Amino acid sequence: MTFFLKRLGHAAFLLAGVSVLSFLLLQLAPGDFFDEMRLNPQISPQTISHLRSQFGMDQSLPVRYWRWLRSAAHGDFGYSFAYNAPVSPLLRTRALNTVLLAGVSTLVAWIIALAIGVWNATRAGRWPDRLSAGVFSFSLAVPDVLVALLALLIAVRSGLFPVGGLGSSRFEEFSFLQKARDIAWHMVLPVSVLAFGLVPTLTQHVRSAVMGALSAPFVRAARAHGIPPARLLFRHVLPAAANPLISLFGVSLATLLSMSLLVEVIMSWPGLGPFFLEAIMARDVYVVIGVVLLSTSFLVVGTLLADALLLAADPRIRRS
Amino acid sequence: MKSSTQFRIGLSVLALLHLAVLVPGFFAPYDPAEQDRSLSFAPPTAIHFKAHDGSWRLRPFIYSVTATNDGDYAEQSGPEYPLRFFVRAAPFRLFGIIPCATHLIGVDAQAKFLLIGADRYGRDQFSRLLYGGQISLFAGLLAAALSLSLGAILGIVAGFYGKWIDDGLMRLAELFLALPWLYLLFAVRAFLPLTVSTTTTFFLVVIIIGLVGWVRPARLVRGIVLSAKERKYVLAARGFGASNLYLLRRHIVPETYSVLLTQATLLVPQFILAEVTLSFLGLGIAEPVPSWGNMLSSLQQYHVLVSYWWMFLPGLALAVVFLGYFSVADALEKHVQSASS
Amino acid sequence: MTSPSASVARVEASTAPLLRLRGLTKTYRQRHLWREDRPIHALENINLEIPAASAFALVGESGSGKSTLAMCIAQLEALDAGEVWFKQKQLTGLSSDELRHQRAKIQLIFQSSALALNPRFTTIEAVTEPLEIQGSAERSQQREIALECMRLTGLTPELAQQRILTLSGGQRQRLAIARALTLSPELLMFDESFSGLDLIVQAQVLRLLASLQKSRSLTYLLITHDLSLVIGFASHLAVMQSGRIVESGAVSEVLAHPQHAHTQALIAAMPKWPTLQAAESGA
Repeated sequence: MTFFLKRLGHAAFLLAGVSVLSFLLLQLAPGDFFDEMRLNPQISPQTISHLRSQFGMDQSLPVRYWRWLRSAAHGDFGYSFAYNAPVSPLLRTRALNTVLLAGVSTLVAWIIALAIGVWNATRAGRWPDRLSAGVFSFSLAVPDVLVALLALLIAVRSGLFPVGGLGSSRFEEFSFLQKARDIAWHMVLPVSVLAFGLVPTLTQHVRSAVMGALSAPFVRAARAHGIPPARLLFRHVLPAAANPLISLFGVSLATLLSMSLLVEVIMSWPGLGPFFLEAIMARDVYVVIGVVLLSTSFLVVGTLLADALLLAADPRIRRS
Repeated sequence: MKSSTQFRIGLSVLALLHLAVLVPGFFAPYDPAEQDRSLSFAPPTAIHFKAHDGSWRLRPFIYSVTATNDGDYAEQSGPEYPLRFFVRAAPFRLFGIIPCATHLIGVDAQAKFLLIGADRYGRDQFSRLLYGGQISLFAGLLAAALSLSLGAILGIVAGFYGKWIDDGLMRLAELFLALPWLYLLFAVRAFLPLTVSTTTTFFLVVIIIGLVGWVRPARLVRGIVLSAKERKYVLAARGFGASNLYLLRRHIVPETYSVLLTQATLLVPQFILAEVTLSFLGLGIAEPVPSWGNMLSSLQQYHVLVSYWWMFLPGLALAVVFLGYFSVADALEKHVQSASS
Repeated sequence: MTSPSASVARVEASTAPLLRLRGLTKTYRQRHLWREDRPIHALENINLEIPAASAFALVGESGSGKSTLAMCIAQLEALDAGEVWFKQKQLTGLSSDELRHQRAKIQLIFQSSALALNPRFTTIEAVTEPLEIQGSAERSQQREIALECMRLTGLTPELAQQRILTLSGGQRQRLAIARALTLSPELLMFDESFSGLDLIVQAQVLRLLASLQKSRSLTYLLITHDLSLVIGFASHLAVMQSGRIVESGAVSEVLAHPQHAHTQALIAAMPKWPTLQAAESGA
């Protein structure tokens, strides 16, 4: 239990640190949105200074940080200049979309990785194992940019899959089931691209974790007792291999988020990615900071979840 | 395959590529900025050994190509332009200083030899591939050098001096690790002026990528330093009156070399990819300077994606580079594993 | 078995002690979050005098504080209280420059020579290291001195370029001694340096030490738990228990008339080999 509390405190510290970092980055912006406004002759200087004070831009640094932090804690991430609307609602839908994509991709990738990894571990050194190792090392070399573009090409050429977006044009008219099917159809390509990027390394780790567990003395003893292989696998080997794999899950979240950013942009998936890029181009600072904070929170929460999973799965950690 | 063959092949491929992009001016037939609107998205020029009349030539040659009415390109039946070697063509500067005008391959000025086709402005993609490769590959190398140096120094300081320096540094490291690096990269990039000169952008990109990536090398180096400083021979050297600096120089830092080398082979491809991603999305190296990233970004338009397959080639080049680095990294790791066992 | 110490025992100790320890104390604190801090008294008020040109044995069970004492004498660990006097000069509280100069005179040789030598170094690099650190001679001279010390310890010059990894245990131990000698020390401390060696090798090294002592006028501090080593080699003896010195004096005296219970226990624990005569005459 102390382990989990420690991780919780740790997570809180991380979030605080990131908020400071983000806020400092905010201050780095040479000139802000209002400088560009100043170039617009239709907006009077008085309006500008009024807007500036409204946003608290003329206060001292710690004050601004505190005000910003307070509102962020309430879920208010500021105001988007480009959309002329508060940031949070804009973030919410898109965040959900990103979580959907990332979540499904991780699930798919892990299922594939577990299947192939376990299979390879049990037949280590033989040709299926060597073949997949070879295939995976090649696939790792292909950059995700290329994979995403190729997937897009397939979509456009074959017409089998939609070329982007979340739902078809008549989405609103669909029943719930139809909506779900529609979204799933739109997700096939982005999920495939993400899974393609995740599966090689995951499989590698699953394989080594399972091999490690297989060679453990207690597994050998269990086998000697005559325990059938399926039961052996699910009740003895996999739980033993769980510890490094759950840690891997926690660590791979950061890569997952970064990968999904690129894939979302290229395949026009309406998640945080394209929104983030847009905001950067438009120097919409509050959106940028909001996205950074949100994505980091995802990471921190995800790692915390992984730690909780670890606690549940590994009795050795519970005891310590 | 055996790790030493793997290592040698990987290293040779990498060496060749880096050599080619080190002096792009020589290997590229044209200036990367040279436009020719009449050859917009012209396909790769076919190299012939057999002429239209059926006779064979010893020397490979091309026909000149013009646009047809329906937007396609057709070969002229006209004069043959043999491929010449060591031609005098557009002047460039070797290593940026020595003026030179000799190119490895070229044809007479009336025809254009587009080995891998042209882009929207009719610029030779092959030349742009080489010049862009220089940017992308060296951005990766420089950023990796920065990360490794920073990481090594911080790791050594944290490991050797310990206590609160170590604690503080490790907390900072965890903070950096907690951030999704691409988001961080973008955010930092976002807060710098969008349009600056190319050299500034290049160094900016290198510095940002390098600053984000110091954590893993630092942690590994710290681990090594922590165990190295407890060794008995370090204690013995202290007994001879050694200063901290001597201990670091003679006993501790040499232990970090192998880990830094393996980290280098892993970081460089990551950083090349980071630069490519940034430039692809318009946040890195901008037109007209080529980078493999911004060369790929035209593929975001559907008509380019579908019709002009040669625009994908920078992606293939990237894959080859990564394969090279990965085989070297793999071979190094196997070597280290066998050495320590 | 001819005792290599016969010549040693007969050397007269000079009147002023080479090393004087006064009130050395060192306490470790084990920190616990919820329990009381438990102090570990590694050294408690140690007082000792080591005569020059002697072979002084420091005997005790593991955990008695022998190694800690050696480290404190060599100024490799800090003392909580007490003074270390080397030839009428206090070692504690010296400036770093002066300390560096003094370090040359007192050398500590560790138990495991394999760990005490950097495996990446070549033999000659390891032997010249002390000279390099002290900066006491020119580069060419350093090599000469190193080779000379190697010769003294029975290491052939052909070994100079070999990596330390390739040397045997006995060669490494000699190497450790050779490099300690390069600085012309006056006190050589051996922390359980013989426990890992084969008996034959151990005898060879002891013979070497005996001959060196005379030619280089060295004083030895031998830390060991092996009392039989003491009998064969040492001139003086001190017994440690739980961080305290319970008995000290000339070897012959202490062994013949042990005063302290612990000393008696140690002597009683020594294996007694029946002599050949007893075996023949007895049952």
